[in-house]
Amino acid sequence: MSIRHIEHDDLALFAMQLLSPEEMQAAAAHIEDCPECRQNLAEIQGNLALYASTVDMEAPRAEARERLLAQVAKEKKPAFVAAAAETELPNRSFGGRALLEEEETAPRRGIGGMIFPWLGWVLAACFLVAAGKLYFQRETMIGTLDEQRSQIAQLTNDATKAREIMDTMTDPTAMHVTLTKTPSEPVTQGRVTYVANKGMLIFEANNMEPLEPNKVYELWLIPASGSDPIPAGTFHPDEHGNASLLMPTLPKEIQAKAFGVTIENEGGSQKPTLPIIMAGV
Amino acid sequence: MYRDSGSNHPLRSTEDDATLLEKVRRGDELAMASLYDRYSKVVYSVALRVLRDPASAEDVLQDIFMQVWRQPERFERSRGSFGGWLAVMARNRSIDALRRKRPTESIDEIAPASNYNLADEVERDGMMDRARSVIHQLPVEQRKTLEMAFFDGLTHSEIAEMTGDPLGTVKTRIRSALMTLRKAFTA
Repeated sequence: MSIRHIEHDDLALFAMQLLSPEEMQAAAAHIEDCPECRQNLAEIQGNLALYASTVDMEAPRAEARERLLAQVAKEKKPAFVAAAAETELPNRSFGGRALLEEEETAPRRGIGGMIFPWLGWVLAACFLVAAGKLYFQRETMIGTLDEQRSQIAQLTNDATKAREIMDTMTDPTAMHVTLTKTPSEPVTQGRVTYVANKGMLIFEANNMEPLEPNKVYELWLIPASGSDPIPAGTFHPDEHGNASLLMPTLPKEIQAKAFGVTIENEGGSQKPTLPIIMAGV
Repeated sequence: MYRDSGSNHPLRSTEDDATLLEKVRRGDELAMASLYDRYSKVVYSVALRVLRDPASAEDVLQDIFMQVWRQPERFERSRGSFGGWLAVMARNRSIDALRRKRPTESIDEIAPASNYNLADEVERDGMMDRARSVIHQLPVEQRKTLEMAFFDGLTHSEIAEMTGDPLGTVKTRIRSALMTLRKAFTA
């Protein structure tokens, strides 16, 4: 079975990352398993390296070297740090560079002699790093936990208050009293609290007339846009004429022009049946 | 032209790249400085040619040598010419910076094959002069097409669109230019 290799033209384009992402992916997958194409690619890379070296040469600024070596020093490798620490004790006065040179020219010791003297330093450094990391993680977690505890306490408090308000309003034994200017006859009243952007509504009514059997009161939201009234829930008054509607399902962002109440058949209606017996603008 | 200012790097190591890389792997900062002094000019010059901005070219220079410091084994694994690998990587990283995309790892894994000891400055200078001479003798279309692909990072479709040449012609010109370069160095 013959293997279809990547054409030389395309291999050159692959080397320069000039194929489409799909072609790059396919070529990379082939090259990984194809020694012949790998060899050809290495030769093309060699040619490209030659070509790259034809640019006019310009030295980078001295600061670039300092910047690199500062970063290199910052990212010291653990084994070398330990080895440097080992040699530093008797040669402290010679400075870092001398130490590095010393490391290069020091006579070779046996494997045990090379490993054991700094093994302790490496282990100690590892333990210190691990302990520091664990301490930092512990402190961070404690801080996060405290913050979450505080948030939970606040939420619990808010939820308790909301539940108490709801319980008070819906408790069948609650006493609902409407204060009016004396002397006056009891009047039928409804009060709507509506938040348009959340679609949330609370309705309370007092002194409602008892309904005939199979009839129900229905609240309507009359949109400011002039579109059809939206049913906002049905209710029956209790024996004292009190009624309430809490958080009926309503669409959000509907600005209301007015609210009204009608009498409908049990189950409610999608369109109000005249007359509107209560209205508020 | 390639001239050594000599002001930035007082230490000149005579050790070969493999030895220096092995020392870098063990954390030897002096070995790292030696590799930088040996190849920073090539890396910077290639990056500057592509990016045309000294600050961006310095960033590429820093990134590439920090990668050598962090993962010298990446090159040790693939063998080949370390200097060539750095030059090609400088080009690829610079094109990535131009396109603002993530580095393509799969290409960097293949080290360039080279018969030249780029660690040796005299040999390196001679090779560069010879490569320049070969490139200058190429037909203008071939030279221009290779330049647009390699240094400007234009795809063969983009080059075809800009020059009005068929796609196949663009590919052939790139291949021919590289083959001529190779032949000049294997003759």
